[in-house]
Amino acid sequence: MTGMMPETQAAVAPTAAPDGGVSVVEAMELGLQPSVKPRGMLRRGWEVFAENKLALVSLGVIVFIILFCFIGPLIYKTNQVSTNLSQILCHPSAAHLLGCDPLGYDELGRIMVGGQTSLEVGCAAAFVSVVIGMVYGAISGYIGGPVDSFLMRVVDAGLSIPSIMVLIVLSVIFHPNRLTMIFIIAAFYWLGVARLVRGETLTLRTREYVQAVKVLGGTGWRAVLRHILPNAIGTIIVQGTFAVADSILILAGLGFLGFGVQFPSTDWGSILSNGLQYLQSSQNYWWLIYPAGLIIIVTCIAFNFVGDALRDAFETRLQRR
Amino acid sequence: MVTGYLIRRILQAIVVTFFVTLITLALIHLVPGGPVAALLGQKANGPELAYYNRIYGFNRPFIIQYFKWVWAMMHGNFGYSIKNNISVAAEVGLYLPKTLVLVGLGLVVSLIFGIPLGVYQAVKRYTVGDYALTGVSFLGYATPTFFIGFLLIEWFSLDLHIFPSEAPQGSTVGQILSQPRALVLPVFCYAFVAYALWSRYMRSSVMDNLVQDYVRTARAKGASERRVLWGHVFRNSLITIVTLLGLSIPVLVAGAIFVEVVFNYPGMGLEFFNAATSVDLATLMGFTVITTFATIAGNLLADVAYAVLDPRVRYS
Amino acid sequence: MASLLEITELQTDIRLRTSVVHAVDGISLDISNGETLGIVGESGCGKTMTALSIMNLLPTGGHIVGGSIKLEGKTISNLPDDEMRRIRGNEIGMIFQDPLTSLNPTMTVGKQIAEAVILHREVTKEQAYDRAAEVLDLVGMPKAKERMGEYPHQFSGGMRQRVMIAMALACEPKLLIADEPTTALDVTIQKQILELIDGLRERLGMAVILVTHDLGVIAGRADRVAVMYAGRIAEITDTRTLFVNSRHPYTEALFQALPEKSAETREKLYSIPGLPPDLTNPPPGCRFAPRCRYANDKCRSEEPNLLGETPQHLYRCFYPVGDEERADKSRFAVEQPAPLAADPNVLAAGPQGNGEYLLRVEHLVKDFPVTKGAVLQRRVGSVSAVADVTFYVTAGQTFGVVGESGCGKTTIGRLVVGLEQPTAGSIMFQGRDLSKSHGSEYRRDRRKIQLMFQDSYASLDPRMRAGTILREPLVAQGIGNRQQREARVQEMLDHVGLPRTAVDRYPHEFSGGQRQRLGFARALMLSPQLIVADEPVSALDVSIQAQVLNLMRELQRDLGLTYLFISHDLAVVRYLSSQIGVMYLGKLVEVGPADEVYLRPAHPYTRGLIDSAPVADPSAEKAKEKSGVRGELPSAINPPSGCRFRTRCPLAQEICAEVEPPLVPFSVNGHHAACHFPLEPPIGDAASAAAAAPVQPAAPPEPSWQGPA
Repeated sequence: MTGMMPETQAAVAPTAAPDGGVSVVEAMELGLQPSVKPRGMLRRGWEVFAENKLALVSLGVIVFIILFCFIGPLIYKTNQVSTNLSQILCHPSAAHLLGCDPLGYDELGRIMVGGQTSLEVGCAAAFVSVVIGMVYGAISGYIGGPVDSFLMRVVDAGLSIPSIMVLIVLSVIFHPNRLTMIFIIAAFYWLGVARLVRGETLTLRTREYVQAVKVLGGTGWRAVLRHILPNAIGTIIVQGTFAVADSILILAGLGFLGFGVQFPSTDWGSILSNGLQYLQSSQNYWWLIYPAGLIIIVTCIAFNFVGDALRDAFETRLQRR
Repeated sequence: MVTGYLIRRILQAIVVTFFVTLITLALIHLVPGGPVAALLGQKANGPELAYYNRIYGFNRPFIIQYFKWVWAMMHGNFGYSIKNNISVAAEVGLYLPKTLVLVGLGLVVSLIFGIPLGVYQAVKRYTVGDYALTGVSFLGYATPTFFIGFLLIEWFSLDLHIFPSEAPQGSTVGQILSQPRALVLPVFCYAFVAYALWSRYMRSSVMDNLVQDYVRTARAKGASERRVLWGHVFRNSLITIVTLLGLSIPVLVAGAIFVEVVFNYPGMGLEFFNAATSVDLATLMGFTVITTFATIAGNLLADVAYAVLDPRVRYS
Repeated sequence: MASLLEITELQTDIRLRTSVVHAVDGISLDISNGETLGIVGESGCGKTMTALSIMNLLPTGGHIVGGSIKLEGKTISNLPDDEMRRIRGNEIGMIFQDPLTSLNPTMTVGKQIAEAVILHREVTKEQAYDRAAEVLDLVGMPKAKERMGEYPHQFSGGMRQRVMIAMALACEPKLLIADEPTTALDVTIQKQILELIDGLRERLGMAVILVTHDLGVIAGRADRVAVMYAGRIAEITDTRTLFVNSRHPYTEALFQALPEKSAETREKLYSIPGLPPDLTNPPPGCRFAPRCRYANDKCRSEEPNLLGETPQHLYRCFYPVGDEERADKSRFAVEQPAPLAADPNVLAAGPQGNGEYLLRVEHLVKDFPVTKGAVLQRRVGSVSAVADVTFYVTAGQTFGVVGESGCGKTTIGRLVVGLEQPTAGSIMFQGRDLSKSHGSEYRRDRRKIQLMFQDSYASLDPRMRAGTILREPLVAQGIGNRQQREARVQEMLDHVGLPRTAVDRYPHEFSGGQRQRLGFARALMLSPQLIVADEPVSALDVSIQAQVLNLMRELQRDLGLTYLFISHDLAVVRYLSSQIGVMYLGKLVEVGPADEVYLRPAHPYTRGLIDSAPVADPSAEKAKEKSGVRGELPSAINPPSGCRFRTRCPLAQEICAEVEPPLVPFSVNGHHAACHFPLEPPIGDAASAAAAAPVQPAAPPEPSWQGPA
């Protein structure tokens, strides 16, 4: 560059501050907007997320519940293999902190084991549906035209079938275990994700930075993989978070109806619905009902709060503040 | 033009119906050993399977089966329940009206509370009142419906003895409606789940609208906050809600099944549950298909309402 | 002179989550009855917040924290909301920038206007609707009564703004606040709307506060002007004085940054370095000091007061423009505007080298299908976006395309870069038809033509760092290895005047002008020969616009670039281009050397466009008061027969509807226009041929400009 633009040359003179960052005044001299240091997307997202105290607490709750279910049994050792007739419906005591269930299993240990199923199925189903829905939605939205119409009518059809009814039918047909439950739940849940990602893709496809790829001679794959999906990932992750909560609830509902994972496996929903049988009895078997019910509610609310906060965190509008 | 829009919507619905029926029939064929195995149970032997396959026509090419099935449905024949010895169509006639009572009452109650409270939350956003109501709707989301039902029974029936623990029994709508006290808990339970949806939708919809430029214009005219809210924002927010209403039908169906099972309410949901426990495949498939058609019709209706309410669709 | 509105030391803060923006920081203004006060300034200077403070309609977090606002002697800045409501829409009306989003989409315009009447007058519904129809007619809405029942989306942008005005004036307020009322509109419509506001002001005897970023709009319409900078008034005086004798260096710099000031000399524009200060933490001293070429230590530490020789002309500067004392400050002003083009051939030459045209666009047609019908989406017609356009771009020069929105100029750009496929015609680049190349050959060809987008924010992936964005063209094309790509990125950053450390930043961490530099750098990564620049500066403030325009010229010279420069802004196009093509509704109606087209337009549309564009010169604005283009752009689905401009043309006769005029030459320099009744005589005419003296060196052998008749 020649000396024809002194004011810009002055503007680009490197004046690095000792700490690597730039002060407001220096930033102005640089002609840059004040910013402490370049912050990555994740870092900025985390800052917005961390401002939401409710979400931080929720995240802590989720971590605690995961540790409780998976590490808990190593510390609080209980017999979850064979029934113990002498301990049937025993009250909470030092030996059994939350008493025992009608089969003599330790209730607290039962909740840990059931939680493993609920969390595993919930997370896996959410993961499978998000992956399928993401690929399907991105392809549909990016290709557009008749292909998009066809693919979306299929999704519409799937969404029109009341999922709970088909879930019940499928559970009747297939012997329900963890693996089948994951795929049965995912078989329906991906539809919503696909529709969402497709909508996002349609918006992103018209963005100038996606069009710029074409001008640069880039391929459609580059546009999808490098630009559309990274920009849609926020929506996808948020949806994945909600999906975990929803899947846990669906599994619980099926467990209540008796079509969830089958004995001796169990999940929170099955534990809760077994306990509810004792609701109308003359004795107060509270430990069979409230702990299991509470942990479902707390887990689902926590995932919902985290999802809401993530939505804010991925919102670039908020990041810019 | 609005007619063009509607025709396109109806045609889309027909295409969707085609896919739905195709998917449903394919599902039956997914059963290990074929649909007859599911019908007869896993113990059925080879000759039995072959016999029933021939009787039901399951040995024919898929496409023939499909058209015969669709043809039958177009004539009101949704199959025959061997277990209950009654046609599926007749079963629907028996149970659907009662379910509609529950769903209808529940919807009305939930909308009466959900919409105004959602507006209230949006106007008073980030206040104690908003947070409290948000907490209530999160409870509605995160609590399994059956657990809500049992808690209602525990508190209002077993502890306080205000309402009976069981839903009204009877074979006609009239009998159901003649026991209003027994209706309270199931309707409330159903409404609570639906309320959580509407209040959340309404809150975010009103909040989205409140920051629009046209609201500033209305204020610049000298309109009061009340007038801005009810004269401008409310109507535009409702338009969004109508679409969501259509999309929420599957959630509402699920709610109905759980409420009916918990309160032993003699509707389609309970009957569906019974059919599932007794592996009554005809009833299961018939109910599923009919509910699906109702969902498609509901979505279509929501689209029509949307077109009527939103002039941008009406005149474009 | 009794003041209608008196603002004293107004301070308005906006509380954000973690900081407080002092958006308006001690503003004093007064407006008399029937007067138009202009408030002008760049984005973020607090002009809109001042307007919203008067109405007490501040956004969430906004509060008036100091000073007072008095309407006819009565303080209104601290009124409770129910009393303030009686003033809004009744005594003070307000219109906003975007008439589409500012109207309720689900309410008929009649009802929206009548609402204003019902709110403030004791009238029945019928009377309110009658009054609404009356004002709608007053603001020039054709068939006002019939259109009362229509919804906002059924109106054009200009008509929507008329509805907004009708709404604001329904109760005959004493003061109208117009916040960027024409920024979203085309120049021809802008002129109509500004004239309407002016006419209504006279008729109704109201005062107007005109808030705008456009010095040209102010020049023609305001009686007095307040120039705002960083939440404060930099200078305030009557319009004429401001334009002939501005005292504040900021005002002076704004004028020097206008491209029309250097349009004829093609001198480098003065550009204000840096950015306006962050108003959460304004600098001590004069707020303009960090960007002022005359500033010294006093300016940086001590803030000047708003003073002046007369109360009619106040400015906030220690060393005002034209002051004796400032003479020795001139050493700070080392970089006097100097002619950029030392070599006149750079600007005015014909084809370089072998006389080849770099880009030949011939008989280019682009139709977008319009479909209808529920099932088969049958094609019922087409939008004729580009209709038989022929032009040639010489290597190393700039060809400017100018026209209103919807004229097809953007489509031409997209066709040339390959984002759209032409319906007919050819685009020859270096003698090869690009629309016929495919596969890897196509990708290689793409390198030579690159696009510079209008919205630099939208065209840069928000999730990518600048370095990745700049590398992407090389990666996508598989050029170079890691080190080579890195070196190229550094080289380009140097070229466009961005610091090398910028590679680690995300797009949102740059200012608008810097993002446009970044977009420019990306376009240059593949060493293209032709750059299609689609409105590259229209989203930028004047001072930043000047920086980018200077950069474009400089790099054109250094790298031998050719530009196809697309803009709605005639002044910008003229400043940068050697050749101009004027488009109207898909047709190229006039083309030729920039100065010839601008100074001696042959087509009535070009004339109208020139007259409509506001110029920052009050006397020039007064002179062309009654000119401009009437009416609105017709639909491109069924364009008018014959000459497409005839429906808005003051000279149109029968033949214009029957025969499409061909492009005929108006000078030997390639000045052509398509008009049956041109404003200048074509050179078939002997007498005028002599008059059309060549203003450029010998033109290349003329290819046929003739469009098919």
